[in-house]
Amino acid sequence: MTEPIVGTPLRQRAAQALGDRFLHEALDIATTKFITLRREAFDDFPEGERLRDRARAIKEATLQRLDEHLETLVANVERLGGHVHFATTAEEAREVVLDIARRTGARMAVKSKSMATEEIHLNDALEAIGVTPVETDLGEYIIQLAHERPSHIIAPAIHKTKGQVAELFSRELKRPGLPADPEVLTKIAREELREKFLTADLGITGANFAVAETGTVVLVTNEGNGRMATSLPRVHVAVMGVEKVIPSMTDLAVFLAILAKSATGQKLSVYTTLVQGPRRPGELEGPEEFHLVLLDNGRIAQIAGTLRESLYCLRCGACLNVCPVYRQIGGHAYGYTYPGPIGILLTAMLNGPGSVKELAHASSLCGACVDACPVRIDIPRMLIELRRQVDEEHIAPWTERVVFKTFARVLVHPALYRLGARIGRVLQRPFIREGRIRALPSFFGQWTKTRDLPPVAARTFQERWRDIP
Amino acid sequence: MTFHRLASDAPAGPALGPTARTTKAEFLARIRGEMAKTRGLFPASTAERPAEPRQRLELLRRELSERWPQTLARFRAEFERVAGVFHRVPTAADVPAALERICRERDARRLVAWPAEDLRVAIAPALGAAGITVESMPRAVPPEAERRRLRALIAEADLGVTGADLAIAETGTLVLVSAVGRPRSTSLLPPCHVAVFDRTALVESLEQLGLVLEAWHDGPAPPERGAVINFITGPSRTADIELTLTRGVHGPKEIHAIFVDGGLGLHG
Amino acid sequence: MSETAVPRAGAPRRVALMITCLADMFYPEVGERIVRLLRRLGVEVTLPAGQTCCGLPLFNSGYHDEATAVARRTVQIFRDAEAVVVPSGSCAWMVKHEYPGLLRGTVEASDAERVAGRTWEFAQFLVRGLGRTAFESDVDGPLAYHDSCHLLRGLHEGESPRVLLRDLKGTSVVPLPGSDECCGFGGSFSVRLPEVSTSILERKLANLEASGARCLVACDAGCLMQIRGGLLRRGSALRALHLAEVLK
Repeated sequence: MTEPIVGTPLRQRAAQALGDRFLHEALDIATTKFITLRREAFDDFPEGERLRDRARAIKEATLQRLDEHLETLVANVERLGGHVHFATTAEEAREVVLDIARRTGARMAVKSKSMATEEIHLNDALEAIGVTPVETDLGEYIIQLAHERPSHIIAPAIHKTKGQVAELFSRELKRPGLPADPEVLTKIAREELREKFLTADLGITGANFAVAETGTVVLVTNEGNGRMATSLPRVHVAVMGVEKVIPSMTDLAVFLAILAKSATGQKLSVYTTLVQGPRRPGELEGPEEFHLVLLDNGRIAQIAGTLRESLYCLRCGACLNVCPVYRQIGGHAYGYTYPGPIGILLTAMLNGPGSVKELAHASSLCGACVDACPVRIDIPRMLIELRRQVDEEHIAPWTERVVFKTFARVLVHPALYRLGARIGRVLQRPFIREGRIRALPSFFGQWTKTRDLPPVAARTFQERWRDIP
Repeated sequence: MTFHRLASDAPAGPALGPTARTTKAEFLARIRGEMAKTRGLFPASTAERPAEPRQRLELLRRELSERWPQTLARFRAEFERVAGVFHRVPTAADVPAALERICRERDARRLVAWPAEDLRVAIAPALGAAGITVESMPRAVPPEAERRRLRALIAEADLGVTGADLAIAETGTLVLVSAVGRPRSTSLLPPCHVAVFDRTALVESLEQLGLVLEAWHDGPAPPERGAVINFITGPSRTADIELTLTRGVHGPKEIHAIFVDGGLGLHG
Repeated sequence: MSETAVPRAGAPRRVALMITCLADMFYPEVGERIVRLLRRLGVEVTLPAGQTCCGLPLFNSGYHDEATAVARRTVQIFRDAEAVVVPSGSCAWMVKHEYPGLLRGTVEASDAERVAGRTWEFAQFLVRGLGRTAFESDVDGPLAYHDSCHLLRGLHEGESPRVLLRDLKGTSVVPLPGSDECCGFGGSFSVRLPEVSTSILERKLANLEASGARCLVACDAGCLMQIRGGLLRRGSALRALHLAEVLK
């Protein structure tokens, strides 16, 4: 499906997604599978709950001493021969990477999956200075060829059928007539990208964690592209949000125990790569330069902000898989880099509460996300806070505010409430058929378009109370 | 390149001029400023770190050496669960034959391997006699041209042979520390990876892994150690196309473990 | 999370009913059945006058000052109750989970804590408060239970309704696939994003059909409004009832 155009209301984008049969089926299958895998992994893991609590505590404690841990991290990365850069804005982060690319004469960069680089729109910037970024995670590779954005945090091409991928590869890679067979398509991707890995000047990755005590940057992957990108090119750049730092290797073991299980149900991802600076003098292989770009881009402001808890996020995608809204509309309809429940919070973090005046309501507040989150982030609570900010800052439409404030007035005046019931009874008469209401005008039609509504009872409970034996 | 633009897209054209760069001091000052607003509001503690990790690890190793058969059994079960192929041989002398069998099964003729002193077993002579070439990685770093040749060789090899620094039973994971003579791509570029190890590599859990990592980083790193530690849990895989699992995406399609009951040679 | 803890069982003999706005206006028969049932069990039921709403819709949409005013009034109405019984998981959650926070530092703070500590959702009250689990039913089964989000995840109560259904005589119970999945109501969500809400509902209805049940049972008027509204619109023979309508 084509992606949403800026400026279309969320409701329209959602409706468009709902109308896409392929997407609907793909989402159903994928999210159901992830849910099952995650559940099985945790059912089989009695220490799971305790470790989730510990993981959350570690994130919380780290934030309490974030400056110290970052100082330690920087000192250790530099001791190992790496360079650390500090980027307050997305633009600055892009500039740092572009500078490195220019200085090292890079013409092509292989990228291992990184939501942080998506967030700062790095690929466009690289292209603009004549450096070709090549996404190497199979899902990212697919969407790069399709000129699309990822629709899921860990399975970026979840919205594409194998037929669509075959067609895409046939067209873009000039290999006509490819079969819709994942084995064949994967093999082709392997061939195409192997050549890129071996000739790239620059490897760009994100980082799942950075261990302060040892200056270690950790990548959690399944395909091997993370290992390739951090070992084969001359220069390795890792872009990482500041909140990803953790204090020690002992802490790392806690997170590794729950991350892959939450994301895909695996005990560990196939490759966990611990990068400790550039190649050592005696090593045959490895980059000559290692750069860590520490990214703020709205995160630091949340240390004391309403969205502080969202800084614990491990980017596992578990909340997306269980979210009833995400499961229906998929990632593109959210309209921003990060979709799903955590995506709404991250969007507000990056772009301010105004950016989520609609998205903050893209939730029934069911709480399934909290249950699934490995660090138990209370997403519904923060969504309600965002809704409050949207109301208080008058970003919500004034008509809505009038309705709610009137409603609130009625609720504190029982006489008005009772009057409301009587008025409702009168007004509804023309609309009642066979004891139910099937169509209502204007705003109320939003309900009755697809669902019946019960009429206001002839006598409310409070009115008939005295007659109950 | 035409994109439908997302709401969050800022125009990303060429830079309009040098952007002021944030210094470390400025960055940390901002963080401290925000942190000051929440002082004492969120009591929590990080994981407790072992006080003397190297000593603790020694103790752990002694304990583990008494129950290594159970640990091995668990490792095997988990390794096979992630599609690893497990082999067990009585002594180091039996390793080349096991390797040869593996090679014959997939018609592998060109191997790359860690040098004998890192594998703690010699494989090249026996395999060579069977018509299988083994290029052992050099321990000294050769000049650029030779490194390029080696890179191409590794990329063309049918199979890579390495040791393993750790084998984690809980997850069926092999841990390989890069080092002199132990280049990273030996276990990455060839389509088949074989790791040879003995009971001294076995640990039971991720929690114990945490202790090992602490111990390995307690004090200065040995000069031979490289800059990457790789945890490998099964062959390379993806499910990015319709959630259908396929193996051998970028990394090896197969991973084998050869466990040597009688132990390998002295530690390098 | 002490304010969401189940009140200590002591088989209270006198309860105040918090009818909730939806049940008051649209499902008074549910309230009636609860009163009759409790009276048959020897519990005295009072109805503090002038009830309106718990304020959850205001709270969820971010109108917290307004929600606080409603909370204040509700706490005043129920301040003297020994126990408060609520036929809705979401309203019970609002009182227990959010009222203390909204009224912290105000004159009603301790009343709010007290009321929160004495509030029970209906199924919870029967099973954990009164220790009564064996009831009869004449509803055409099989029945299938749908967990409302606030009851399951907010009040951690998935067990009491299931125990009641398990011990029910006169009808049968089958599991509902995806019973813990949201029905798509979400309060104002149902009309802000009606297409998404309906799509979520359709998934719930498909699961209901797949379960082989003839009747869905839930403990929340919001869920029932959504699910029943969808079943009726489809002309389905399947029904959706409140737990109180199923127990004789």
